[in-house]
Amino acid sequence: MSAILPAEGDNRINFGALRALVVDDYPSMRNALRLTLSNFGITKVQLAATASEAIFHIRNKSYDFILCDFNLGDGRDGQQLLEELRHSRLIPLETVFMMVTSESFYEKVVATAELAPDDYMIKPFSAEALSSRLLVVLQRKRTFAEAYRHYQAQNIDAAIASCDKILKEQPRYAVDALRFKGELLIALGRFDEAEQLYQQVISMRAVPWARLGLARSLHLQNKEDAAEEELRDVLEHAPEMVAAYDLLAEVCVAKKDSQAAQEALEQGVAVSSRTVRRQQKLGEVAMNNGDLDTARSAFTEAIEKGRHSIFVTPADYGNLCRVQLEQGDLRAVASTLRQHKRTLEETREGQLVTAVTQSNAYTREGKSAEAVKSLDAAASLRASGAQGDPQLMLDLANACMANGRMDEADAVVAEVARNAHDSEALLEKARKIYAAAGRENVGKDVLASATSDVRKLNNEGVVLAHKGDFSGAMQKLLAACEAAPFNPRIGMNAVWVILKYIDQAGMDEKMIDTARHQLAEAERRAPGHPRLAGLRMHLAEVEKRFGIARASA
Amino acid sequence: MKSDSNEFQAALIHELKNNLGLLSMTLDRIPVSGEAACDSAVDAARLQCQTVVERLQQALMIYKANQGRFSATVDAYSPHELLAEVAKRAEALSHGRIRVELGIDAGVPVIWFFDRDLVEMALINAIHNSLVYARSSIRIEAIAQDNWLTLSVRDDSEGYPEHILASVAEGTPYRARGTGLGLQFARLIAQAHDNRERIGDLHLGNDGGAVFALRLP
Repeated sequence: MSAILPAEGDNRINFGALRALVVDDYPSMRNALRLTLSNFGITKVQLAATASEAIFHIRNKSYDFILCDFNLGDGRDGQQLLEELRHSRLIPLETVFMMVTSESFYEKVVATAELAPDDYMIKPFSAEALSSRLLVVLQRKRTFAEAYRHYQAQNIDAAIASCDKILKEQPRYAVDALRFKGELLIALGRFDEAEQLYQQVISMRAVPWARLGLARSLHLQNKEDAAEEELRDVLEHAPEMVAAYDLLAEVCVAKKDSQAAQEALEQGVAVSSRTVRRQQKLGEVAMNNGDLDTARSAFTEAIEKGRHSIFVTPADYGNLCRVQLEQGDLRAVASTLRQHKRTLEETREGQLVTAVTQSNAYTREGKSAEAVKSLDAAASLRASGAQGDPQLMLDLANACMANGRMDEADAVVAEVARNAHDSEALLEKARKIYAAAGRENVGKDVLASATSDVRKLNNEGVVLAHKGDFSGAMQKLLAACEAAPFNPRIGMNAVWVILKYIDQAGMDEKMIDTARHQLAEAERRAPGHPRLAGLRMHLAEVEKRFGIARASA
Repeated sequence: MKSDSNEFQAALIHELKNNLGLLSMTLDRIPVSGEAACDSAVDAARLQCQTVVERLQQALMIYKANQGRFSATVDAYSPHELLAEVAKRAEALSHGRIRVELGIDAGVPVIWFFDRDLVEMALINAIHNSLVYARSSIRIEAIAQDNWLTLSVRDDSEGYPEHILASVAEGTPYRARGTGLGLQFARLIAQAHDNRERIGDLHLGNDGGAVFALRLP
């Protein structure tokens, strides 16, 4: 039996049954913490010195309590570890994650972070303080056990009902219940209700996470001005609230003010430069603004700080090389590829980044034979199924055109366009490539036919669905999926009509499998998309109704 | 961007906090021997370690305040849980030498909005003072009235000397020494709490001993 969830009616916590993991890079501190834990009865303690060691242990065994130092030497810090653990769902919500920190700014991080630890201890602290805090967190986890269980089974409505019950019956946890419920409402796309909830909290006290939640729900309802006003006011009073800069940047992008977005991200980076995702975003925005110096240093930082991080992908190396190429700094490109050779060779996506980058670099140097050789390598990687991010695929199209391989270029652009038929930013980039090659008219045709096929199938499918012909709608959308296998919008529409079809016509094993696959693909392409949670719920509900055991996530 | 010397300083402070944390945890692990001479020396060392911890915290607070970065980060916490934690810490520091009582008025709400770390720092500092001067007991109390939460520490000592009461009442900045110094910080912490025009404050008085009262809006 779990230490956290004892028999009904028993509200004691059995420290002896807790399985604990202590993560600290200092051997003396690790031992001191272990002895301190054993002093109050926690004797099952595993020690880890680095984030990688911690992840290794967590993959092999489940822990009830993770006590982690923020500063873990040169590798990932404790906050990065926490984000990776929660993001990859390596630890369930029941697991207590406590941060140990000597950074006094950390409480400002926690105050607004989406991925906050359950609590944190500021060094130096005493044994009693640690045991009291742990007890309080364990009691809170126990109160929310039912809500967590529903949430993890993707049964969000039931999780909300659990929160409402806590709100009514346990005033001690009312604010915690509101905080969790706000996140659930946003996951379900019920943004107006989330807005009201955060207003309700703010009427009690303007706590930072509620103000940020309010700004997020405003932003998700496209009320960008109100969201911006709220965020600017938060930051004026508390400039250390880093998460507010990230959200402000999203709001500015939505307002098409990418200069302001860059400024917000730069301010966020100045407060805390260690977040890989903030650096990646800054690099992208600066690149779009033509600020190559900033883009280069941001992409460099993302790679540096993100060593071993799951958030760094081959696309990050491609981004850095693209800036260096645009700056005409071919030596830097060569050095980036050399320095990260081993990482890039590990995956086909990485190999594709290398081949495409090299081809474009050789073209710049006027070495056309080498450029063609690299391009051939890229083509054969693609033939074997290697997929790059859209930006890299456009680089590939560019390389094809530079070497006179126009049909190949058009095919690559068409593929990008089909998979991003509704992304004006990407289509615009594609148009620029054609313009630079003096092939504007060809480009117009390629883009028009690629997007119109997908758009037509999609629209026809949606119209049929609204008329109640889910079978016909499904055929159209599956055809659209085949043409645009990486297009999250199409994928989500397909999932939606398949589920509607099953609602109407009864179970279809093959189709529900397709729905599962498409949903997983859409989640991979568009993580955090507001439609995903609703579809996930609908799928779970259909599976339950027809008594299908859900494949483990 | 940080300069090298700033990073060096930050690294040193980081080490200092680690060392102090280790020292405090090590002292906490020394078992009671039953021999008065030995145990009282360990108790004294514990209190002295606590003093060093507090001085470091205060030094860092001044540093932040000078940079204009000192502010409270308020969230919903349970005053009951906070005082239970603080009382546990007081018992550990007193090691049975001084009786620790906890009195929470029935009207104290289950949650209140405050900066837990700062309030805890102020209370522990007050408790630490009381443990040094109290004759036999200290009492930690909470009461809620007219939308104010008052957290207090009372002891049965001689009470605060007149000059400390005066210096805290006048808010003489950073001139006080010893006990008075910690009290100035408690006052800063109280004042960092505000709620719709109302600002927290620190009340000191003598009533059968010293009374330290933090009032939070």
